[in-house]
Amino acid sequence: MNNVDLIRKLQAAFKTEAKERLRELSSDLIKLEKNPGGDGCDEVIESMFRQVHSLKGASRSAGLREIEKIIKALENVFSALKRKQIKIMPEMMDVLHHATDTLADFADTLGNNQPSDHKNQVCEIVEQINALSSGESPGKTKFVKKKPEPVKEAIAIIKEEESHKKEIPPPKEFAEDTLTKSDRSKDKTQTVRVSLKKLDLLMLQAEEMLQVKLLANQHKNELEHIIEMLELLQKEWGRVADTTRILTQIIKKKGESGNRERSALNSVSKLMALVASNQDQSRIFESRLISLVRSAHRDKRVISELVERLLKDMKDVLMLPFSTFLEIIPKIVRDLSRDQGKNVKVSMEGGEIEIDRKILEEMKDPLIHVLRNCVDHGIEKQALRKKNQKPPMGTIKVMVSQVNGDRIEISISDDGAGIDLEKVKEAAIEKNVVSRQEASGLSDKEVFDLIFQSEVTTSSIVTDISGRGLGMAIVREKIERLGGKVSIESRLGQGTIIRALLPITLATFRGVLVEAGNQQFVVPTASVNQVVRINPDDVKTVENRKTIPLNGHRIPLVRLDDVLEIPPKEQTFASKIPALVLGTREKRIAFSLDNVLDEEEILFKSLGNQLSRVRNIYGATVLGNRKVVSILNVTDLIKSAMHVRPMVARGAVGKKAAQISVLVAEDSITSRMLLKTILESAGYRVKTVIDGLEALTELKQTKYNLLVSDVDMPRMNGFVLTEKIRKDKTLGDLPVILVTALHSREDRERGIDVGANAYIVKSSFDQSNLLEVVQKYI
Amino acid sequence: MTDNGRIFKQIDWDRVHRRLEVSKAAIEQGVSSNPEEKIKILKKRALLLSRESSSIVEKDEQISMVEFVLAHENYVIESKYISEVYPLKEFTPIPCTPDFVLGVINLRGSILSILDFKKFFDLPDKGIADLNKIIVINSEFNKFGILSDSIIGVRFIRTDEINPPLPTLTGKRKAYLKGVLEDSTIVLDAAKIISDPKIIVHEEVGN
Repeated sequence: MNNVDLIRKLQAAFKTEAKERLRELSSDLIKLEKNPGGDGCDEVIESMFRQVHSLKGASRSAGLREIEKIIKALENVFSALKRKQIKIMPEMMDVLHHATDTLADFADTLGNNQPSDHKNQVCEIVEQINALSSGESPGKTKFVKKKPEPVKEAIAIIKEEESHKKEIPPPKEFAEDTLTKSDRSKDKTQTVRVSLKKLDLLMLQAEEMLQVKLLANQHKNELEHIIEMLELLQKEWGRVADTTRILTQIIKKKGESGNRERSALNSVSKLMALVASNQDQSRIFESRLISLVRSAHRDKRVISELVERLLKDMKDVLMLPFSTFLEIIPKIVRDLSRDQGKNVKVSMEGGEIEIDRKILEEMKDPLIHVLRNCVDHGIEKQALRKKNQKPPMGTIKVMVSQVNGDRIEISISDDGAGIDLEKVKEAAIEKNVVSRQEASGLSDKEVFDLIFQSEVTTSSIVTDISGRGLGMAIVREKIERLGGKVSIESRLGQGTIIRALLPITLATFRGVLVEAGNQQFVVPTASVNQVVRINPDDVKTVENRKTIPLNGHRIPLVRLDDVLEIPPKEQTFASKIPALVLGTREKRIAFSLDNVLDEEEILFKSLGNQLSRVRNIYGATVLGNRKVVSILNVTDLIKSAMHVRPMVARGAVGKKAAQISVLVAEDSITSRMLLKTILESAGYRVKTVIDGLEALTELKQTKYNLLVSDVDMPRMNGFVLTEKIRKDKTLGDLPVILVTALHSREDRERGIDVGANAYIVKSSFDQSNLLEVVQKYI
Repeated sequence: MTDNGRIFKQIDWDRVHRRLEVSKAAIEQGVSSNPEEKIKILKKRALLLSRESSSIVEKDEQISMVEFVLAHENYVIESKYISEVYPLKEFTPIPCTPDFVLGVINLRGSILSILDFKKFFDLPDKGIADLNKIIVINSEFNKFGILSDSIIGVRFIRTDEINPPLPTLTGKRKAYLKGVLEDSTIVLDAAKIISDPKIIVHEEVGN
C-alpha cells in the first residue's frame, strides 16, 4: 500500500471515529449545559476530555493538522475545566457547540476538500476556544461579560432520560479506546469488531438463501403436478386395458377355429401384455414419485426452517438500540428551538429497545422531519404560551415502546398549539385534494389523514424548515415502505401526537406477482384491495374515462402498461380481463393487466443510489428462479393513473367514439374478433360481416363512418368492394381501410388505385397503429 | 513391422552421438569453470535484472485502463474505479426510467443498475449478445454497471498519450471524455461520470 492510499484509509477511519465521538461530545455538552456544576458534572467533563483526547491522537495519525489544532484547543479547555481552573459559563457552550459542529463539518467533507481550505475558520475557532481556557479571570473575555441568556433554559433534558442513559451502555462500546475500557469491564460478554460492510455482505447472502426456500417449494409443487399427470395417464391406460379385454372376449366368442382369429387373438394378447407391463411401470413410477414428493416436502420444511432461523439470527446481529438515534435529538431540538426563539425541553424513553439497523437508518429523516414540525408548528412562541396559561417551556416527548414481539411504536408528542382541523380542510380544498362537499362529510380521523396527502399544509408561511406540504407525505411513504403505519392525533390548543408503528426487522412480505406488457411486477398484497376479472361488457366510458362497476360504485379502469409507460402485450382474446383494485376508499382504481400469476414471499431490495427514486417503482425483489422483478409503488400508481391518458382517449375521444360506427369485413373469425376487440376497446361501435358482398349490402342499409376490410374474401374481395363503394353515389366518401396479409408493392398500389384511404399489412399492425389510422379518417 | 523399420531408419544416429558429445563437453566445462568466469556471468545477469527494474518504474507512471467496445468504437476507462467485470446473462428493464438505464441485474443478492452509454453517445444499438459484459463502477457515492458490447482487456496508458478530444464534440460526449488515443480509442473520464448528478434518476410522479 502506498502512502496516499494509507492516508486515505486513515482519513476514512478518522471520519467514522470523529462522527461517533463528536456525537457523544455534543450530547455531553447538552448534559453539561442543562446542569452546570451539578451532580455528575465532573464525570461528564471527564468523559468529554477523554473523547477529545482520543480524537486528537486520531487526527494526528490521519495527518489532519488543522483539525488537530481545534481539538488541541478544546482539550486545553476541558483540561482546565477538569482541574477547575475555569468555570462553566453558558456562553462557553455556544463556542464549544460551534467548535463541535465545525469539526463535524470538517470530518464530513474529508476526502472532498483539503482541510486547508478551512484555514481561516480554524484560526478563528482556535482563538475563541483559547479565550475560553484562559477565561479564568472574569472580564478578560467577551464571553464572560454577557448576561446569562436563556440559552441555559433553551433546552433541558429531564431526569428520566439521564437515568436511562446510565443504564444503557452506549451502543458502540467497542469503539471506545483503552481509556474507557475499565468502565465497561462490567460487561462480560465478549465482542468482536466486524466491519459493517462484511456484515451487510453476510446479510445479503442470508437473504439469497430465501430463494432456496422458494425454490424448494416450487419443486415440491412441480412434483405434485407430475403425480397428478401420471394419475390421469394411469386412468387412460386403465381404459385401454378394459378395451383390450373386451376385444379379446369378442374374438374368443367368434371361435378360435380360423387362422385369422388366432393371429388376431395373438396380437391382442401381446397388446394386453404391453398394457399390463405399462401399468406396472407406471405404478413403479408413481410409488417412486410419491416418495420423492414426501422427501421434497421434508426438504422444504427443513430448508425453510433453516433459512428462516439464519435470517432471523442475521437480523439480530444487525440490530441497534434506539439510543443511537435518540442521542442526536436533544441537539437537533436545541438548534431548531434556538433559531426560532422558543423554549423547548425534550424527554425521551425507550432508548434500550433494539431495531434493525436498516429501519433505524431509514427512519432517521422522517423522525427528524416530525421533530421539526413539532418545533416549527407545534410549540408556540413563549409569549403566546404565557397568554394561554401554559408553562413557558414547551415539551416534546419521544417514546419508543415495544408493542409486541415484532413491532414497536415510536410516539412523538408536543404540548403545542395542536392542529386546526378547519385549516386542514381549507388547505385540502384549496389544493383540490377534496371537494368542499366531500370535506364537510369527513370524520376527524379522515381529516387528520389528509395531512399525509402531499399538497396539504396548514402552515401559512413556508419556512426553510417545514410548511411546504410535502413532508408528512414523505414521512408516511417511508414508514409504509418499511411495513409500518403512521397516525396522527391532535387537540387544538393542547398538542399533537404522531405515532409510528414499525416492524422490528425488515420482514419479508406477501406480494402479488402480475404480468403486464410482457413484464412481471410485484404488488404488495397489503396494498391490493381486490383482484377482479372484468367482463368487457361492463366497461363503460364515463366522462372520457373507462370505468367498471365494483360493489355498487363505478371506479376508473386504467391499463397498468399504460401507467408504466411500457408497450402493451399483443391483444389476446381473454373473455375476462384480470385487474387489481388498488387504493383506498374514494380513490380506488382498477388496473387491468395481462395476467395475475401468483402470490409469493417477497424481500424488498433497493434499486441502489443511481436509481434513487423511480416513478411508480419502489424497488425490486429476487424470485425463486433468481429473476429480478420490480416492486410497484402503489401510491405513485394511483397518482400516475390520474395523469395517464388511457386507450380510449388515445384512440378517439370518449363519448364521440361511442357514436362512431365502423363496419368490419373479414372472412377469418380470428382476425374478425381481433379487429372488433381493438376497435371496441377504443370505444367505437362495431358491426362485422364476413365478405365483401355482405359488406356492400350492410353499407347500403345502415350508415357507417368507416369501413375496415380484409382483401382476400370469398364472393367479393376487398379491392372490388372498395371499387364498388367509390362508384356508389351515397357511399363514395366512406373512408376505407384495407387490412391484409398480402405484402407486396403491387397490392398496395392496387389498393390505392381502387380508392382505399389506407392499406395496413397485418404483420405490421398492432392496435395502436390501426387506431391511429382509424382516427385519421374520422 | 515395415512401418517400425521405416521409423528406425529415420533416426540419424550420427547426429545423436554428436549432440551427446557436445552436451558432455558442456557439462564438464560448466562444472570446471573458474570462479572469475562465474562472477562475470553473475554480474552480467545482475545488470540485466537491474535494467528490467527501471522499466517497471516506468510502468508505474502509466494508468491501468480497461478497454471495451461500444458499437463500433473502442473505449478505455480507468481500472481504479472498476470493482469487477460481470457477464450480462439477463436483466430486468425498469419502467419509467430514462432510456440510458438498460435495467437492473442481481449481483450476488443486491440490485445493480446498468447504464447503456450508447444512448449517451448516440451510438447504434447492437442488441444484447453473449459477449455483453457489465463493467461495475464503484465509488463512495454511487455504484452502477456500464454495459459494454465486449471487453478487450487491460491496457497501460501514459498520460501524455492522451490527446485532447476533438473541439467539435458536444453534450455528453464532451462532458464524459478525457481524450483520444492515437489509435482513436476514446478515453472516458470516470471521475466525471461518477460525480455527474445527471446520471442519478430521481423522479416524482407528476413533475
